[in-house]
Amino acid sequence: MLPKFDILTSEQVRLVHENTIQILEEIGVEFSFEPALEVFRSQGLKVEGHRVFFQRDFVEEMVKKAPAEFTLHARNPENNVVCGRDNIIYMPGYGAPFVHQADGTRRNATMADYDNFIKLAGASKNLHMTGGNVVEPSDVDDRIRHLKMMYSHIINSDKCFMGSASGAEKAKDSIELAAILFGGKDVIKEKPAIICLINSVTPLKYDDRMLEALMVYAEAGQPMVIAALVMAGSTGPATLAGSLAVQNAEVLAGITLTQCINPGTPVVYGSTSAITDMATGSLAIGNPECALFNSASAQLARFYGVPSRGGGGLTDAKTADTQAGYESMMTLLAASTTGNNFVLHSAGILQYYMAMSFEKLMVDDEIAGMVLRYIRGIDFAEEKFAFDIIREVGPGGHFLTQKHTRKNHKVELRRAELSDRQSYDGWAKERTDTNQRAHKRWQDVLASYVPPALDEQLKTALDEFIAKRSAEVL
Amino acid sequence: MMELFEEIKEAVIDGDEDLATELAEKVLEEKLNPVDAVQEGFIKGIEEIGNSWKAGEAFLPDVMMAADAMKAGLAILEPAIAELGGSDEGSGKIVLGTVEGDIHDIGKNIVGALLTAAGFKVFDIGIDQKAEVFLAKAEEVGARIIAASALLTTTMKAQKELVQYLEEKNARDKFKIVIGGGPTSKAWAEEIKADGWAETADEAVELCKKLLA
Repeated sequence: MLPKFDILTSEQVRLVHENTIQILEEIGVEFSFEPALEVFRSQGLKVEGHRVFFQRDFVEEMVKKAPAEFTLHARNPENNVVCGRDNIIYMPGYGAPFVHQADGTRRNATMADYDNFIKLAGASKNLHMTGGNVVEPSDVDDRIRHLKMMYSHIINSDKCFMGSASGAEKAKDSIELAAILFGGKDVIKEKPAIICLINSVTPLKYDDRMLEALMVYAEAGQPMVIAALVMAGSTGPATLAGSLAVQNAEVLAGITLTQCINPGTPVVYGSTSAITDMATGSLAIGNPECALFNSASAQLARFYGVPSRGGGGLTDAKTADTQAGYESMMTLLAASTTGNNFVLHSAGILQYYMAMSFEKLMVDDEIAGMVLRYIRGIDFAEEKFAFDIIREVGPGGHFLTQKHTRKNHKVELRRAELSDRQSYDGWAKERTDTNQRAHKRWQDVLASYVPPALDEQLKTALDEFIAKRSAEVL
Repeated sequence: MMELFEEIKEAVIDGDEDLATELAEKVLEEKLNPVDAVQEGFIKGIEEIGNSWKAGEAFLPDVMMAADAMKAGLAILEPAIAELGGSDEGSGKIVLGTVEGDIHDIGKNIVGALLTAAGFKVFDIGIDQKAEVFLAKAEEVGARIIAASALLTTTMKAQKELVQYLEEKNARDKFKIVIGGGPTSKAWAEEIKADGWAETADEAVELCKKLLA
């Protein structure tokens, strides 16, 4: 693995921390959920109305309790993922309400889309988890949507997945489903099997829905990504330093709460901060500023001794075109080389998180494969220096017929899965562009994908739970 | 007199709320025509900023600060305008808010500022507001448009509930309902029988102008 590089000096990290502590001590963070306020009050913090003021020592002590690394368990142990330190985890985009077709036609996402995105993630060599809300299926009743979504992850793949953070009831259902799958709540408390995404509301607030879910997951010992999305210029200062401090304050406040409730609960420091487009007011994510936020956040997380979440194949483009390519490569490469551990939105995202696309998913899958090969680095084992082969081939010879070449090329030289490397005439037969190849590829992958079998008894137990809960809430 | 109106125009263009307030007070002190002050000063200023913005020379902070400056100045002059018998019935009144269960508001705030800049009178009721509050405010101020924002797929349905609530209270015909926010769309607006939808803040302004034409 390539070493991860730092984009900040240690003095700069210290400055961010100092400014963050000043925000937490003098301005505070608003928590609108009474039970959360009670937790803070019982710890002796000053609470005025909904506003909580955090003391330096308290925050620093609490954040230290969160682990630097944890394992998330999959129903197939080969697909377990380790989150933190040198590890990297890629997964599809999260939360988009729309799907853009190859020609840019926009439509509401459906449950069929959801299933297909999971299958494509399941089939991918480069996506380590199938993620969470890969899209928001508009054709499923909102009250049972979370049940259907988790079921799709379980049925269509045996990789790790995420649970719902939409309030206490859905959080409890998610943990219950994971418990059924893995053999009980005690089992998953020891071996966490589910992770959720808790978002603050910037600047400096957390809402009821997210706080309810945070408390449920913390009590059950299940990991959470605690994330902030600062839009520099609108929900945060136009200066990146100030926005980074606001983000840092929100995330540390959230992490502190999790550790108060259940010390040692795994958390991931999350950032999706980016910029406001100053002409329109929209969020813009496919840019160097977003990459800077991701890289700085990865380093801050290392400073605090916790894993980080950030980055992805991020773009503001509406189709899987050239803009989508260059923006997504920038953000994924930056995130991956600077050590983001949990990369939500690695694949499929278009238009500043508003949409997913199957073509974009395949483009990003290729980008992910390229980046993973890059960060794998160069193998300098003695055999790889190939001295004896070089001597045998000698000046003016070639290596194509060497056993060493036949043995090593598959390991050392990555095959492109989407990129076209043909001769001109080869390409000219069909004259495809990336979007067209991607359009064909996702259909081919889906057609040949076989979801891993699920134990019949487990399936029945899951079906029964979902039927019971659906009857209760509908 | 024209010099003072020119200064007002510049104060709006510079987004200087304090200066705009000060100059509005001067208009009253010197007993100048407040309606002319609005037309030749505040409105000329906001129009110029608006044109700069469309030309890509000015940006959102410029437009929003200009709107705030105009709003502050107008607040000073309103009583005097009312006394002259001039009413603000001409400018459309809009009640703007984020729906129940949703506390996101940056988009709503941008829309509010642009609507103000376009000459509408905006009553922003804030975040996480029940349908009852939207209606109560609209009736209180005599609004013509109710504008509801939602950022989450889980709170979008409150926009549908808002339309249904107005129908229940036999108030649906009194107001135009427009919606917006990330996961919303034209199709959604049609499904819930809203009167309009806009994807961006400046489209929202055009929509409101069209609805009140």
